Amino acid sequence: MINRYKWWELVIIYTGMALFLAFILAPFAEAFMVSLRPLEKVFRVPYRFLTEDMTIRPYIDMWTSVPGLWRYILNSFFISCAVTVLALLCIIPAAYSFARFEYRFRNGILTAFLAVNMVGAAVLIIPLYKLMLSLGLLNTYWAMIIPGAAFSVPTGIFLMRSYFLRIPRELEDAAYVDGASRLYTLRRVILPVALPGIMVVTIATFIAAYAQQFLFALTFNSVTEYHPLPVGLYQFFGRERVLWNELMAASLVGILPVLFVYVFLQKYIVAGLTAGAVKE
Amino acid sequence: MTGGPMGHLKLTAVTKSFGTAQVIKPTDLEIEDGAFTVFVGPSGCGKSTMLRMIAGLEEITSGTIEIDGKVVNDLAPVKRGISMVFQSYALYPHMSVFENIAFPLRVARLDQARVDALVAKAAAVLKLEDRLHHRPGELSGGQRQRVAIGRAIVREPSVFLFDEPLSNLDAALRAEMRVELSRLHKRLGNTMIYVTHDQVEAMTMADKIVVLRDGMVEQVGTPLELYHRPANRFVAGFIGNPNMNFLDVTCRAVAEGAVRIALPDGAEAEIPVAGAGVAAGDALTLGIRPDDLTIGGSAGAQLTIVPEVVERLGNQTVIYTATENGTPVCVVGGGFEDVRPGQPCAAGFDPGDAHLFRPDGAALGRTIDLGRLAELA
Repeated sequence: MINRYKWWELVIIYTGMALFLAFILAPFAEAFMVSLRPLEKVFRVPYRFLTEDMTIRPYIDMWTSVPGLWRYILNSFFISCAVTVLALLCIIPAAYSFARFEYRFRNGILTAFLAVNMVGAAVLIIPLYKLMLSLGLLNTYWAMIIPGAAFSVPTGIFLMRSYFLRIPRELEDAAYVDGASRLYTLRRVILPVALPGIMVVTIATFIAAYAQQFLFALTFNSVTEYHPLPVGLYQFFGRERVLWNELMAASLVGILPVLFVYVFLQKYIVAGLTAGAVKE
Repeated sequence: MTGGPMGHLKLTAVTKSFGTAQVIKPTDLEIEDGAFTVFVGPSGCGKSTMLRMIAGLEEITSGTIEIDGKVVNDLAPVKRGISMVFQSYALYPHMSVFENIAFPLRVARLDQARVDALVAKAAAVLKLEDRLHHRPGELSGGQRQRVAIGRAIVREPSVFLFDEPLSNLDAALRAEMRVELSRLHKRLGNTMIYVTHDQVEAMTMADKIVVLRDGMVEQVGTPLELYHRPANRFVAGFIGNPNMNFLDVTCRAVAEGAVRIALPDGAEAEIPVAGAGVAAGDALTLGIRPDDLTIGGSAGAQLTIVPEVVERLGNQTVIYTATENGTPVCVVGGGFEDVRPGQPCAAGFDPGDAHLFRPDGAALGRTIDLGRLAELA
């Protein structure tokens, strides 16, 4: 492609991007800096970005200040994984059905799914609480997994459906002509071809599940051992003081699993696995 | 011929409707064992729908489809003994060439040794032996097409269906694949049904051409029959390249085995066709193929034309002209035709080469020697 930007246009574009990134990343940078400061220096006036007294002590002390921290991080990871698996089990068949089959109210049902997303979990928290209560699921992992999965399903269906729609129908026709059943075709042809799409949905669901678990955990669970990280972090709030530096250190360590998953799986997003299936 | 599975196909009063629109009008068609039949027609004529109905990918609305004497209306494709090659190849991008070809065998749960043997056989026929471990994405268009054919032949069906398989290839490769497909047909001897909108493919490969328009079979016949004795104006215009020229003429007199007509410019000519159902004074359409016109020719009948565009191809010259009243006429002449755009000239033709059509489009019977055509077939 010809580079059609003038130098001053590039300057504007990059300035814009820098501003945007600064806005997004500044909280992370500050969190990182706070996590490296001794507690008494966190609120130093005047503010200094870099100081000589920086230390990695908070990263060591946080495990003793909050002994359950390991458990909370693992809980977060476990809950998100469980949400993702459960959600995918619903998303893939539903999205395939929306993408391929003709039936009455198909579009209506799809719209209803998306409408649920607009309402959001916070509005439904009281009815959900009653539901969890009557199902006897309060204070279990399920109380955090099931609502988490339920609220990621609509977006997932929408993403996955558009991916299925891009898979040429002739692939299924060909498999059908060769004698394959619907399920065989789904398993051997459609799912492998849709793998990049499934990966995108997996990552999106995992990240969403990681971010949204706070609300459900806070409301539906009071067992300390089952708490995910966002709720567990409250234990850094002591009676007299808040351990800000260790809190930030724990938060950053808590982000690592998501970061890890993202870095590990993102190549699938880019992979053009459908190349060569049909003419482009 | 291998004497293997053949495939005799018979369609009786088959129709197809989508909602209220009848896309296939009642159709009877019989395709003999081992014939290479081409469905040809403009886009939207129903040829692909017809093929998908034979395949079992579309339900038929009424009528029956029989393969080898068995009604297959409600059978799944694989039970009908057909296989199909799709326009987009429809290869599985995540599988190797080997697994793509082996797919129907895997579905049928054949054991590995048998799969190996059958895939090797198909790959040998299609010269794909050293590509078996590649993915479709690494292959050229022609190779992908061959893989798709390999997947179709590997389970040795009695009928092969091709849905515009060459339309994604460039011209040179298409010509090459045409020859390869004809060769494959000779070698396997199975019934093949081939859908295309390209009349060159139809003419070159078919034993039998089925011309379709708007869901109706316009004519069924050998390529040369269709060329020399088109049943109507549509078939005449569709078969042959460049297309046949059509001129409005008036019937002057009808004699035994000949019709006397007046050409647009007043000249008269006697066309040797059966004049049944035609009377003096009727408006008729004269059809004359571009290569039957001779520039400056003194043969039988004459037209005055004004060349507009002259395409010189070396061995021949394609001249796009118009008559005095503006009807476009195309002439194909030799490589050294002395014509210039804008300079009127005469074009002559042998009345024996001309076609005449009634106002309803039906052709008047020509007296061409079909025996001679049969010898060529």
